[in-house]
Amino acid sequence: MNLAMAVVIVQIAMLLALPPFIIGLIRKVKARLQCRRGASVLQPYADLAKLFKKQPVVSSTTSWIFTATPYIVFSSTLAAGLLVPIFVSQNPFNFAGNVIALVYLLALGTFFLILAGLDAGSAFGGMGSSREAIVATLAEPAMMLSIFAIALTAGSTNLSTIVHKTALMEGIITAPPPHLMALVAFFVVALAETGRVPVDNPATHLELTMIHEAMLLEYSGRYLALLEWAAGIKLLVFLSVIANVFAPWGIATSVTPAKVAVGMVVYVVKVSALALLIGVIESMFAKLRLFRVPELLGAAFILSLLALVFFYTLRG
Amino acid sequence: MSSMSPHAGSQLVDLCAVLLLLTCFAIVAQRRLSACVDLFALQSLFLAATAALVAFLTGIHHIYIAAALTILIKVFVIPRILKKVIERLNVSRELVMNVNIPAGLLICGALVIIAFFITQPIIPLGYLLTRDSLAIALAIVLIGFFTMIARKKAVTQMVGFLVMENGLFLGATAAAYGMPLIVELGVFFDVLVAGLIVGIYTHRLQDAFDSVDTSTLTVLKE
Repeated sequence: MNLAMAVVIVQIAMLLALPPFIIGLIRKVKARLQCRRGASVLQPYADLAKLFKKQPVVSSTTSWIFTATPYIVFSSTLAAGLLVPIFVSQNPFNFAGNVIALVYLLALGTFFLILAGLDAGSAFGGMGSSREAIVATLAEPAMMLSIFAIALTAGSTNLSTIVHKTALMEGIITAPPPHLMALVAFFVVALAETGRVPVDNPATHLELTMIHEAMLLEYSGRYLALLEWAAGIKLLVFLSVIANVFAPWGIATSVTPAKVAVGMVVYVVKVSALALLIGVIESMFAKLRLFRVPELLGAAFILSLLALVFFYTLRG
Repeated sequence: MSSMSPHAGSQLVDLCAVLLLLTCFAIVAQRRLSACVDLFALQSLFLAATAALVAFLTGIHHIYIAAALTILIKVFVIPRILKKVIERLNVSRELVMNVNIPAGLLICGALVIIAFFITQPIIPLGYLLTRDSLAIALAIVLIGFFTMIARKKAVTQMVGFLVMENGLFLGATAAAYGMPLIVELGVFFDVLVAGLIVGIYTHRLQDAFDSVDTSTLTVLKE
């Protein structure tokens, strides 16, 4: 029992501590690829600390939704992160929910963010909300199907069971093609859901293109800090699902000090590698026009659908 | 025969065939004409890899020759002809289609499911190594056919035709470990001639209508 508590506490600490580093790493990679030195990878920590010290300004036309949203988004994203095995394959919180709970905890945060974007009544907020709603509705089915394709191989929708069985390579039906297709589909969804480049550009506040930033435009001070931190945690949750559900090898399959240490190191390395990949993708590709986003997410949906179909045809 | 277990070999063949299918989807989703041609070349490369893999795993040598011809004709010669044609055109991307891209992708997904459904009863009767590829081959043929219907430009219609041909080749490899060599040679010659004819035909279309949109052919006049 104490062991489980310790694992949960360490997991919360990692979920809170790692996101600014990941964001900083992506920025650093982009800067290096543009032949700039770039800010330190620790810069986002300083940014967050500064924002927490600033006094927030809240428009007098807003309702309680505006001030409640940062807390709802932050806590729902953190709760979603607790459902994902991070460095121990048997996550102590696995009784609390499966992959469907994960998807809807993230959707809850998105929903309140959309409401908050509309709440302040500014034109940009509403525009960002409407765009976010389009992206979220298109990304969700692809996300569900791609995780289901993996869930089928393990015969369970519980993330811990999936990760545990896949890491030990026992009790699962392996077939590389559906696995790969689901991985690619999920990666596209992760880019779309976390507002990364082919769909949204986190580095710009250009009114014609922004999605996520447009919804946050009215926020300041600690509210903004919480929302930025939550966005970082959301990115980390998606990267963790990619790293651990699709390629869990290296994760600690039992709670012994040596295995846990290896699991933590492997996890940080895997997540950092994914952050590097995202940085490279952001440097290589231009942002898609908004009307092309459904094509990208449609392709991801088809890929995950095919992964499911292939699972049934190729296993025999 | 190789030292690999038949299960691992069959999974490798499946993987190659799936890559072929994925390039099909990339072609359906691609608007740029030259990128379509590049994707077709990539698909042909995967096809050659599949054929070479089947040849290696079964020890049937004439499939190697077919794989080499695939690389020569479909990876180098035909894409070069099509690239030459595209260079001469005044458009680089296809903006108007008969079916838009998201709908096209969904239809292709449905086509794959149909192909899998149709081949389900006969798949258990096939050879162990390549039997799953038959469903994929049928899916590729259907998607190629769909591309020819959905697109308006002569070049992309040609790409659709070539994708169909790739599907048929994969089907022949999957169902019967390849056709007799003389038939393969004839097919390759036909495909090459078809490529040349479409090249000339596209030039004529461009000269006559100042566009390679084949729907202009419905308003022929004296």
